[in-house]
Amino acid sequence: MPIIVHLDEVLARRRMSLTELSEAVDITLANLSILKTGKAKAVRFSTLEAICDVLECQPGEILSYRPDDRPGS
Amino acid sequence: MRKREGLIWGASVIVRIACISNRLFLLAVAIGLAATWILAGFFGRLLAEPNPEVNLPAAMTGIRLLMLIGIAMAVATDRLLVPLAKIIATARAGDPFILANAQRLQAIGWALLALQLLDIPCALLARFWPSLGSAAPSGDVSVGGWIATLMVFVLSRVFAVGSVMRDELAGTV
Repeated sequence: MPIIVHLDEVLARRRMSLTELSEAVDITLANLSILKTGKAKAVRFSTLEAICDVLECQPGEILSYRPDDRPGS
Repeated sequence: MRKREGLIWGASVIVRIACISNRLFLLAVAIGLAATWILAGFFGRLLAEPNPEVNLPAAMTGIRLLMLIGIAMAVATDRLLVPLAKIIATARAGDPFILANAQRLQAIGWALLALQLLDIPCALLARFWPSLGSAAPSGDVSVGGWIATLMVFVLSRVFAVGSVMRDELAGTV
């Protein structure tokens, strides 16, 4: 997946755990874990908004695009 | 919620009973069809008893054709009830919106179509086989049956699209 999730880095900068973020944004720890590990297929704008609001960051700090090097992708 | 669970449980029981009854009917008709050759004399007497002037060979052929249609109908009904039982099982398990159920609905649609088409030989027998007498099937065409067939095919498509949409949503955070 060429979309890279940097949630752990932003969380580390804010010295916040995933559990604390889960409580703050009212999203289950399981779903946040899916997002953090890059296993999510899609992210709702409302989720992104809540995370950015709590972590005081921009969406671009959480997500980045890295083109896949695999042939045919 | 409990009422809905009761409804699904009831449907499950009804479909299971219908499935067993239909298979017993299929077995009985298959045995009956074989018996028209093995016990031809007995069947001949049975047909001649109410109407001694009956054309016996024609009546016997008519009865055999009727039994063949009965077997085809029982097979089509089985093809309808088995996927229906599986759909009900997924509903009981709480996860009916899956692609497999769309395919099962399509199978039910084909079975319904077969049953509707089997009305045609029934109508032909009723119209052109007078020797069958009171045993002749009613040659009616069921408009409701055709609408139900169409509806099941449309529902199958709705299920297919819905299950793909649900799969897409499954990985959404």
